[in-house]
Amino acid sequence: MTGPLLVLAVLLFGTAVVVGQHWPRPWLVLTLAACLASIGAALSVFAAAVGWEWKSHILLGGESLHLRLDGVSALFMVLAAVVGGAGAVYSCEYWSDRHYPESAPRGRSWWSALVLSMVLVLIVSNGLHFLMAWEAFAICGYFLITLENQKPAVRSAGWLYLASSHAGTVCLFGFFTLLAVKTGTWDLGPLREHASLSPLFWLALAGFGMKAGIFPLHIWLPSAHANAPSHVSAILSAVAIKMGVYGIVRFSGWLPMPASAGWVVIGLGATSALLGVAFTLAQNDFKRLLAYCSVENIGIILVGLGAALLARSHGDAPWGRLALAGALLHVWNHGAFKALLFFGAGSVLHATGTREMSRLGGLWRTMPWTAGLFALGSVAVTGLPPLNGFVSEWILYLGLFDAVTDKQAAAWAALPVIILLAMSGALALVAFTKAGSMIFLGAARTKPAAQAHECGLWMRAPMLLLASLCIVLGLAPIFVWPAISRAADAWSLTWAGQTAPAPLLTLGWVHLGLAALIIAAAALLWKKARSRPIRRAPTWDCGYAAPTAKMQYSSGSFANLATAWFFWILRPSRTWRRPHGSFPAEALLLDRVPETVLEQAVLPLAARIMQVSSAVRRLQHGRLSAYILYVVAGLAGLAVLVLLESAS
Amino acid sequence: MIPLAHQLLRLACWVLLAPLLPGIINQVKARVAGRRGPPVLQLYYDLARLWRKGVVVSTLASPAFVILPAVAWVSLLGAALLVPLGPAGAALSFHGDVLLMLYLLALGRFCTAWAAMETGSAFEGMGVVREVSYAVLSEAAIVAAVLALCVQTGSVSMVTMLAPTAGAGVVLLGTGLFIVLLAENCRVPFDDPTTHLELTMIHEVMVLDHSGPPLAVILHGASMKLLLFSLLLTQAIVPLAQHGPIAATGLLAGGVLAVTLAVGIVESLLARFAYRRVPLLLTTAFLLCLFALLVAWKGGAS
Repeated sequence: MTGPLLVLAVLLFGTAVVVGQHWPRPWLVLTLAACLASIGAALSVFAAAVGWEWKSHILLGGESLHLRLDGVSALFMVLAAVVGGAGAVYSCEYWSDRHYPESAPRGRSWWSALVLSMVLVLIVSNGLHFLMAWEAFAICGYFLITLENQKPAVRSAGWLYLASSHAGTVCLFGFFTLLAVKTGTWDLGPLREHASLSPLFWLALAGFGMKAGIFPLHIWLPSAHANAPSHVSAILSAVAIKMGVYGIVRFSGWLPMPASAGWVVIGLGATSALLGVAFTLAQNDFKRLLAYCSVENIGIILVGLGAALLARSHGDAPWGRLALAGALLHVWNHGAFKALLFFGAGSVLHATGTREMSRLGGLWRTMPWTAGLFALGSVAVTGLPPLNGFVSEWILYLGLFDAVTDKQAAAWAALPVIILLAMSGALALVAFTKAGSMIFLGAARTKPAAQAHECGLWMRAPMLLLASLCIVLGLAPIFVWPAISRAADAWSLTWAGQTAPAPLLTLGWVHLGLAALIIAAAALLWKKARSRPIRRAPTWDCGYAAPTAKMQYSSGSFANLATAWFFWILRPSRTWRRPHGSFPAEALLLDRVPETVLEQAVLPLAARIMQVSSAVRRLQHGRLSAYILYVVAGLAGLAVLVLLESAS
Repeated sequence: MIPLAHQLLRLACWVLLAPLLPGIINQVKARVAGRRGPPVLQLYYDLARLWRKGVVVSTLASPAFVILPAVAWVSLLGAALLVPLGPAGAALSFHGDVLLMLYLLALGRFCTAWAAMETGSAFEGMGVVREVSYAVLSEAAIVAAVLALCVQTGSVSMVTMLAPTAGAGVVLLGTGLFIVLLAENCRVPFDDPTTHLELTMIHEVMVLDHSGPPLAVILHGASMKLLLFSLLLTQAIVPLAQHGPIAATGLLAGGVLAVTLAVGIVESLLARFAYRRVPLLLTTAFLLCLFALLVAWKGGAS
């Protein structure tokens, strides 16, 4: 069943790439059908006892084709297909032929090509083919990010993405080549018995980490997510960076690990979670805010993976399995709510034309659907019950707490990480209270915000789908548990067959009860409040009636208190023009939070390298006489060396 | 039918007894100051009066402004039902319930904050920012305290975590949790629940624009939160499991009363801190809980 469905999916995606150039509707049907076929293939793997594998004699680049779909790759494939399908529907209205006659056809084709290449990355099981698919995936991403290539900001964001992506790919070239040299074949598979392979993991971590956006390697992520069209941001954040996670999960399961791998991964995860959320907090551009939030969530996922690696080196402790399951479930959950939030952000951008939160406000009046769905996504991303974000974080916490009560060496990693995760959860609450309230609540701060309009059905439907996924995954996590279990089993063969220790069924019932109580209490209070006519009056505010909309708390002032604690890394720059005289005319205060790693580490380093290079380049100027001098000087130098050598 | 009656009784306990605590605190404050003070049951009268009143809603606010207090109340009630009541246990107890409780409290905070931001008032925005930002530090302190108890007892479920003897770090843990209780329930020295017009306030300012039944729900939820933290603090430091059911119940009630009296006395003797010093005090609470955690770890290792 799996094989034919996969072939069908690949063929449909391929056709959609061609069809997308001219016919929007058939393209949509083909893409959706291909996504459904991929989901079907993945589900058939979850249902079967073992993963699907297919070796053929067809040669591609001198290597025979070897495909494989097991629990781990099926998990990521479901995510790619769901977000790929939802985004395709969303783009019909958001990036329509009417608004973007020039780039919309390209966008459709690249979209199908992107999802196709991600599916290929997930199923190929040969190092060479993996690199090909990986490169195709990176390039499709580039062309989607730069759909609006007449804007300089978009072009530079795309360039940064391409450069970083290739820096990562260089590491992967090294990784796969060395792997092939050491094992004598490009074929990939479980290689745990070759202990000498373990140092290669660092190369994989760097290469895939670049794509995943682990903290110091995340430099491309904010600008690419902010400048890409919103449906592209959604798939970048929900799926593309997860491909990096897939690589790390895949090869940490297949290869032998260095002893310190668990410590490093959990440390990187905790750092990404905390610093990612610190940057989230400080943003004024809501798409950048969501992008940094992805860094945080990747951190959470890596914490789970790191705990699993630690557990494996501690005699396969069961808490590691729990932490890994939490991380894998978070891959799905983050995909669902982050795509929802980016779609919501897209519809705000569509309606108002600005990404700056301090220019928005009060949008719930004109955009009630978007506001409600964004609020739901905010609850989910903050990890609050009864939605899906809480379920995965809770399972992850349980794994870490069990590691603490186990009282082995791993507890020294788990203790600080639990506290850091709790703090980053609380900070995420600050960030999303800020984002939601700045965009949707209060009074409109500018004219475009006051004249916004609700998005149409094509944009609303995918948001509703993702929102209902958030709700279902939150209320009935037990239904997806078999799939998550299967993925965790496929990760490490020694873990197969262990039963799920998490009391997920209880949590599901508690969530259901909670949801029912919330609805009942809300209905009761609403009815009670309406039993007498509700009087509308200006905000009381302790007596300051009807201030102007600009006097509301702004996004900068909202984050002021908590960002002060992260001053050392955020390094905000401030431009001041204080009011002067008895009748001050104008005053100015501009706060800017740089992408610290990029602007204060990578760019200065790059500038330094360019300086040295251009200094060296002065030697090459095309004057023949000087070149002859170089040759003579070089020969003389060599002669001196030889003479010294013979003298000694 | 017995379990159902049992649960209903527990629910009634939480809903009916919670508004008593603010009354006791006010009575203590009045007595220390040499006044007669409002009756202990004042909050009950207030709630009844508010419940009968009409609602005024800001022209800027959406319908969620009325609904969110109900969601916050339900999440506080849910958190409360997970907290064990000494020998009576909790309504529901499972592996990891303590995390659910913490996140339900966060859900309550999230809803209150969103409702406050609905009004578009800078004043209320200020309160929201303080509430959600300081919560980061108090969350860290609570989690450190939970980890200390977890290391102490080897359990992640509140019923077993809170029952046995308190370890050597009991004074550290108790002090840390008491500071967190003051911060989370907006008591002096973090916040002053009696004023309305001070720029240093945190929680009170968030509910300025609420009125009628929604305000009643908010006030009742706040009193449940106070009871919840008093119960947690009492059970974290008093080894209730060593006593029989009746003695334990008595001890629990006595403990909650003692905590309430202590809050009242602190409010009478201390002035509110300048709000810049609030993070410092919360960090102290975090460090105290962290040291309790280290003590528990060493105790368990030896």
